[in-house]
Amino acid sequence: MAGHMSPCSSSSSSSSSAMTFSHATSSEFHKSLDKFLVFPRKTPESSWVSRIRSRNRSRKSFQLKSSNEHPVSSVSLHDGSSLAKEHSMPSVKESLSPVNSESEKFESTYSITVVGASGDLAKKKIFPAIFALFYEDCLPKNFTVFGYARTKMTDEDLRTMISKTLTCRIDKRENCEDKMTQFLKRCFYHSGQYNSEENFRELDIKLKEKEAGKLANRLFYLSIPPNIFVDVVRCASITASSTSGWTRVIVEKPFGRDSESSGELTRCLKQYLSEDQIFRIDHYLGKELVENLSVLRFSNLVFEPLWSRNYIRSVQLIFSEDFGTEGRGGYFDHYGIIRDIMQNHLLQILALFAMETPVSLDAEDIRNEKVKVLRSMRPLQLEDVIVGQYKGHSKGGKSVPGYTDDPTVPKDSLTPTFAAAALFVNNARWDGVPFLLKAGKALHTKRAEIRVQFRHVPGNLYKRNFGTDLDKATNELVLRVQPDEAIYLKINNKVPGLGMRLDRSDLNLFFKARYPREIPDAYERLLLDAIEGERRLFIRSDELDAAWALFTPLLKELEEKKIVPELYPYGSRGPVGAHYLAAKHNVRWGDVGGEES
Amino acid sequence: MATFSSAHCRPHATTPPSSLSRPRLSPSDCEHRRRVTLSSIPSSAQSPSRLRRSCCANAVRVQEGAGAATIIPVENELPWKKSKDSLSLTVPEVENINISKNESTVSITVVGASGDLAKKKIFPALFALFCEGCLPEHFSIYGYARSKMTDADLRNMISKSLTCRIDRSENCEEKMDQFLKRCFYHSGHYDSLENFAELDKKLKLHEGRRISNRLFYLSIPPNIFVDAVRCSSSSAASGNGWTRVIVEKPFGWDSESSAALTKALKQYLEENQIFRIDHYLGKELVENLSILRFSNLIFEPLWSRQYIRNVQLIFSEDFGTEGRGGYFDNYGIIRDIMQNHLLQILTLFAMETPVSLDAEDIRNEKVKVLRCMKPLHLDDVVIGQYTSHKEGSTTYPAYTDDKTVPKGSLTPTFAAAALFINNARWEGVPFLMKAGKALQDRRTEIRVQFRHVPGNLYNQKHGTEFDQATNELVIRVQPDEAIYLMINNKVPGLEMKLDCSNLNLCYAARYPKEIPDAYERLLLDAIDGERRLFIRSDELDAAWAIFTPVLKEIEEKKTVPESYPYGSQGPVGAHCLAARYNIQWGDLGTGQ
Repeated sequence: MAGHMSPCSSSSSSSSSAMTFSHATSSEFHKSLDKFLVFPRKTPESSWVSRIRSRNRSRKSFQLKSSNEHPVSSVSLHDGSSLAKEHSMPSVKESLSPVNSESEKFESTYSITVVGASGDLAKKKIFPAIFALFYEDCLPKNFTVFGYARTKMTDEDLRTMISKTLTCRIDKRENCEDKMTQFLKRCFYHSGQYNSEENFRELDIKLKEKEAGKLANRLFYLSIPPNIFVDVVRCASITASSTSGWTRVIVEKPFGRDSESSGELTRCLKQYLSEDQIFRIDHYLGKELVENLSVLRFSNLVFEPLWSRNYIRSVQLIFSEDFGTEGRGGYFDHYGIIRDIMQNHLLQILALFAMETPVSLDAEDIRNEKVKVLRSMRPLQLEDVIVGQYKGHSKGGKSVPGYTDDPTVPKDSLTPTFAAAALFVNNARWDGVPFLLKAGKALHTKRAEIRVQFRHVPGNLYKRNFGTDLDKATNELVLRVQPDEAIYLKINNKVPGLGMRLDRSDLNLFFKARYPREIPDAYERLLLDAIEGERRLFIRSDELDAAWALFTPLLKELEEKKIVPELYPYGSRGPVGAHYLAAKHNVRWGDVGGEES
Repeated sequence: MATFSSAHCRPHATTPPSSLSRPRLSPSDCEHRRRVTLSSIPSSAQSPSRLRRSCCANAVRVQEGAGAATIIPVENELPWKKSKDSLSLTVPEVENINISKNESTVSITVVGASGDLAKKKIFPALFALFCEGCLPEHFSIYGYARSKMTDADLRNMISKSLTCRIDRSENCEEKMDQFLKRCFYHSGHYDSLENFAELDKKLKLHEGRRISNRLFYLSIPPNIFVDAVRCSSSSAASGNGWTRVIVEKPFGWDSESSAALTKALKQYLEENQIFRIDHYLGKELVENLSILRFSNLIFEPLWSRQYIRNVQLIFSEDFGTEGRGGYFDNYGIIRDIMQNHLLQILTLFAMETPVSLDAEDIRNEKVKVLRCMKPLHLDDVVIGQYTSHKEGSTTYPAYTDDKTVPKGSLTPTFAAAALFINNARWEGVPFLMKAGKALQDRRTEIRVQFRHVPGNLYNQKHGTEFDQATNELVIRVQPDEAIYLMINNKVPGLEMKLDCSNLNLCYAARYPKEIPDAYERLLLDAIDGERRLFIRSDELDAAWAIFTPVLKEIEEKKTVPESYPYGSQGPVGAHCLAARYNIQWGDLGTGQ
C-alpha cells in the first residue's frame, strides 16, 4: 500500500471519500498514513513535514458535497445521495477485508476523455500532464485515456501524436521509455462530432468495454472552443456519463464574455450537470506559488499580522508576456487581455490573497471566502483602467509586428493587448488599499508575480538625514509565480562598513536552489484534483458570476465608447498610462522601478 | 540595487574650517548632533582630512600633584583661546609656521602596546582606518609600554600584523610605510607621572600648534587601569583639545568593584571622556539590529510578547582556554561573555524606540531595559565546565588540565540563563542566553522564535508537531554573517507537504566587500566622539545589578558546574532550562 502511495498522496488521499479507489479507504489506512506522515521519506530539509492534502480529502464535508457519482442527468439528480451511500458502504467494507472475493466488483476504474484531442492545448498540456501523473504514480491503477475529436484517426495515430510531446522529468529519467509505452497502451481514440449523441454513445460503448463492469468514474476534459461547450456537455452527459461512478467535466476558459453570456453558459451547463460536476479550470490557481500563497499566510505567524490595510500600502498582480499574438490573434481579438487574463487569473489570485481566514481548507470554505472578497469589491470604474495595444517598431534593422499587423486580427481592432486597473476591496481589512492589476502581451519581460508593498515606517529614525527617499524604500514581499519561482522580502539593511549606509537587500528563497526537484505543471495538479474531486482550485458558479459583475460594466463601457487603446511599442514596458494610474493612487509599480526584480 | 548613500566611511569634513571661529557648541549640544550621516555625497568628493567633531572636547580635570585635585575645566566654547595660552607656555616653536591654528590633530596612544590585543587588533584596526581614509589628515600613533623598545622596534612589531583588505590591496606596501612613519614608541611605567609627562612632550612635538586631541587606549590589565588613567590625565591630557580614554573589559568583578572602578576613573575623567568598549557592539550585525527593527515596517509590529515566544542569544567557541586560563579563571564565562556582550545585545534588541539615534537617547533606552529586568535567580542559571574528551587519537584537554588553571577550579566555562524583562512589551518572554567554551562549533547568533500560528489551518492533522515549526528570525553575528527568516513553505509538488525554508540574506553573497573588524568601527567612533556603542556608567551599574547576586550565590555556595565533554553541545542542564520554559534551543535543532 505504502509503495503505491508515494510519491504523491493522490491515490491514498481520497481514501476516506467513500466512493473512490477501491484499495484505499478506512480509518485503518489513515492511521498508517499518519505514521507515514510523521516520518516522511526523502525529506532531508526538515524533521517535520506535513501532508495536508490527505487531510483535505478526508473531511466529511467532502462526502456531502461530492454527490456526483450518480448518472449525469437532470432527472436523476435527486436520488444521487442515496446512490452515494450504496456505493460508499461496500467500498468501506471492502477495505476492511481486502481479501474479500467480492472486491473485484467494487474496484473502480477511471477514464479520462479529452474532448478536442487534436487541439493545441491537448497536445501541449493535457496529455503530458496525464503522463506525468502516471509516472509519478498518482493515477489510480485502472485508468484509460480517450481522445475524442472530429479528425479521423486510429488509436495508433493518437499514440504517435501524443508520444511526441511526452517527456520525463529530469530527476525521473530512468525507465522513461518503459513508462511511456505502458502509458500509451492505455490511450485510445474515438472520432466523432461534438454535437452527435450517436457518436458519444459509441464512445460510451468503448468506455464500458475498458471498464469491464467495474465501478466507472469518468472525467471529460473539454478542450474545445466555447461555442460547442454546451453541445458536448449535452451529448456526453446524456449518452456517455457513468452509471455507476461519478462523471465530471473540466471546462476551460472562456467562461462567457460578460455577465449575461457567462450566466447563460452556466445555466446551460446546469441543465445537464450539477454544480459539483463542473470543474472550471483556471490554471493559474494550479501554479506552485499561488498554491503557496495560502500556506505562507496561514502557516506563518509573521505574515498574517501584516496582512491588512494597517501595514500594506498596495498589492500588485502583474502578468506580462514578451511576445504578441504571433498569428494566433483570432480568438484573442474577440476577448482582449482583460477577459483573457485579468478577469480570471489575476482576479482569482487577488481573491486568494485578500480573503479572510477560511474555516478550513475545504473547497467550499475557501471558495466561500473568495466569493466574499469579490462581493466586497466595487465594479471597476473606467477611470481606474488603462488599456493599451502594442504597435510594431523596428530596431536595428529588425522589425517586430504590431498587434494589427497580425493577419488574424482585423486592421482596425481596438482590442486591448495591455490593461492596468486599480481595484478596491471595501471591507474592514482592505478599505483604501489599491490592488493594482497589470496584464500585457509583447512587453519587455515574461513574468507573473505578486508584489506586496508595505507602508513606510512611521517616524523612521533613519529618515532625518535622508529626506523622502527612505519613505519610498518600503518593504516589499514578492512572490514570483513564473519564471524562476521565488519568494523574497525586500528589507532595509545596513551596508557593511564603517559608514552608516542603508540599502535594500532581499531575504531570498529561490525555489530552484532550495527545491531541486522539477516543479509540476499546473495542469498536473488540477487534473489530479479533478480526479480526486478536490474542488478548491476550481471556480464555482457564484464565484464566476461575482467576477463578471466586477468587470462587465467596464467592458461594456470600453466597447460602447470605442475607447482607443494607448499604443506602446512591442517589447516595451507598456503604455505610460499605467504609471499615471499607479501615481494617481500614490503607488509605484514594483516591477519597473530603477532596480530590476 | 539601490543604495541610499555612497560614502564608504564617515565624512570628516562636514565642519568647514571657517565654522571653527564661531562660538563652539556646548558639549551637550554635541551629544545631540546627528551622527548617522546618510549622506549622498560620494566619498571621493569628501576630504577625509579634518576631524569634524573637535567640538566635542570636554572638560578635563587636571590633577596637580598627588594630593587633592584642582579642577581646571577646559572651556569648550573657546578651545583655541585656551590653545593659545598653552602653546605660548609650553610648546617650543614649531618648524612649520604655516599650520593653521584651527587645524586639529589626533594622537592615539596605545597603553600596553606590547600586549596581545594591541598587536592583533588595535594596530591593525588603526591601519585599516588609515587605508580607508577614515583617519584625520594629521594623526600620530604612540605605543606605550614598559618594554624598552625604539620606534623602529615598534614599527617592526606592528608591521607583522598589518594586512590590507583584499579589495584594497593596491599600494598596500606604500600605505603601510606611510602608516608606520606615524607610529612611535615611548617606554614607561604605567604608574609614573614622570614617564607620562615625557610622553606629553613627545606628543606636543608632533602636534605642533594644531588643536590637539588625544585618545588613550588602555590595553592593560584591570589592576593598573586607575594608575594609567591617573598618570595620563594628570600629565598627558591635551591642553586644548579633547582627551578620551578607551577602557577594555573587565569593568570590575561585581557591582561593588565595578562601582569602585568607575568612581576611581571619575576622579580623573568626566563621564564623556570614558569610552568603555564592548567590541560585540561594533559587530556588523549587532549594528544592523537596530536598522532591521527601526527602518523596516515588517519587523516592529512583531517585536513584542504578542508574537515573540522567546529570544535566544547564543555565543559559543570551539576551543578552550588553551593555556591562557589565568585571566579567565578569575572571571568565568558569565562575567567574560554574558554580563557584557550578550546582555548588551539583549538590551539593544529589547529596547523601546529611542527618541533619536543619538548616543544618549539610545543608552537611555538600554538602561531602561536593564532596570526592568529582575536580578537573575540561581534557578534560572545552568553552569558547566568542560572535561577532557578523546576522539580517535586526539585527546582534548579538560579545563582543569590547563596549567594556568587551579586544579580544583569551579569556574564555569559554560553558562545558560533565562532572563525576563518585566515591562509591557516583554513580560513573560524568556530571553535565553547561552555562552560556552570548547563547544562543538563557533558561533554568535541572535534567534527570535515566534509563537505558533493560532488556529493554524494546516494544523488539524498534525497536533503539536506542527506547532513546533514556528517562524524564527536568525541574525548570525559570526561567522558568515547572515540574516534569515525561517518560514513554513509548501514543498513544490502535487502533494500538500510543508517544510521549513529560509528567507535568506547571506552577507558574503550580497556584500562581497570585506566586513570591517569591530575594533575599527569602535576606534573611529571614539575618535569621532560617537558614544552610542560604548557603555555608560549607569548602564554598567544596571548590568552588574542583574548578575551580581547570582554570581555571589554561585561562589558562596561553591556550586559545582555540570561537566560536559570538550567539543560537545554543552551540559544537558541547558536543555532542561530551556525545556522548563517550553523552549528548544534553536541552534541545536535539526533545521539550522
